[in-house]
Amino acid sequence: MAKITSGIASSHVPAIGAAIDLGKTEEDYWKPVLAGYEWTRNWIKSEGKPDVIVLVYNDHASAFDMKVIPTFAIGCAESFNSCDEGWGPRPVPVVEGHADLAWHIAQCLILDEFDMTIINEMDVDHGLTVPLSLMFGQPEAWPCKVIPLAVNVVTYPPPTGNRCWALGEAIQRAVESFPDDLNVQIWGTGGMSHQLQGTRAGLINAEWDNRFLDRLVGDTDELRHIPHIEYLRETGSEGIEMVMWLIMRGALGKKTRCLHRHYHVPASNTAVGHIVLEPEE
Amino acid sequence: MKQDIHEYLSELEDIPGTRVYTAQRARRGYWMNQFAMSLMKAENRERWKADEEAYLQDWPMTDEQRQSILDRDYDRMLDLGANIYFLAKLFSTDGLSFVQAVSTMTGMTVDEYQAMMIAGGRSPDGVRSKKAGN
Repeated sequence: MAKITSGIASSHVPAIGAAIDLGKTEEDYWKPVLAGYEWTRNWIKSEGKPDVIVLVYNDHASAFDMKVIPTFAIGCAESFNSCDEGWGPRPVPVVEGHADLAWHIAQCLILDEFDMTIINEMDVDHGLTVPLSLMFGQPEAWPCKVIPLAVNVVTYPPPTGNRCWALGEAIQRAVESFPDDLNVQIWGTGGMSHQLQGTRAGLINAEWDNRFLDRLVGDTDELRHIPHIEYLRETGSEGIEMVMWLIMRGALGKKTRCLHRHYHVPASNTAVGHIVLEPEE
Repeated sequence: MKQDIHEYLSELEDIPGTRVYTAQRARRGYWMNQFAMSLMKAENRERWKADEEAYLQDWPMTDEQRQSILDRDYDRMLDLGANIYFLAKLFSTDGLSFVQAVSTMTGMTVDEYQAMMIAGGRSPDGVRSKKAGN
């Protein structure tokens, strides 16, 4: 039986990807951002090594333009290339999918009343590849398979936090009904506080972000009830990406334990948050 | 917990200095955003750089929308329905980072904006709500 053994959340700031690609990680600006990932990098090489990651992220007008806007889309292809976001594709390995598990999850979710969009051809952007670089560095090939799960958080309304949490719960049920023994991780990416527009650009709310991190741990489910307007007012217009972390949290079951936590301001315009959780029985 | 759409949308307009990418904005800016997407292809970037005005003629936008793009007036582009993730293709083609492009909307220089971020960013105090003034 496949099992979700842990969950990871992380910001996916494009400038972090550029810093890694261009060898700037030893610069004073980037050192403290990356230092908070050292623990995870070591852990994920040994006891934390997954076979497959269900990687929840948002596409930033890369694979999806305004023609089609899927609320929840699951990547069922054999592989996914890194896309050209305007400065050429990131020099990262091809992302290998797990089509069997992805199709299994897609079918289960639809029967569980989550009407997923199924994607058979798709390029992936920094939302997916930056977290991989943060956890795995710059390998020749990514050390595990990845199932991209893209969430619309660009065109309003995005899904509610409550719906995201419930989707996570359904993903956990789906994974646990897959017959092969697979160690599956779920990642939630994006956030934390940031606003990329207008006179309020640069907004950061460390206090709110840290309370959000606090409540990912333990048996509280308060986070699922935060309305969109609170994310927008308190954490900036792009802080809404944090609803994706709730898919990760929902997939870990009733109670979690924190293995590692990191928070740093800034990376580019953004507060970087990172947490590693495991389900607690 | 189901929300009333009218209340939901009206709250989204209550945040100072913020244009939430609602259906209304997405419809208005449709072709601006689709234009920006076209710059994901290297050959299109070359054609765009060679003659920006001619390139924009291929897209059914208003003159005001075209002018805001030519002026790189990001605040204006957002008013006219563009979205920052789409516009990222435009400023990336210009060789600008998010910090460089975003800071142009704040009335600060890039250096001032960068210094604010390093000092912990902009506080939400006073910019949460137009109505409540908090």
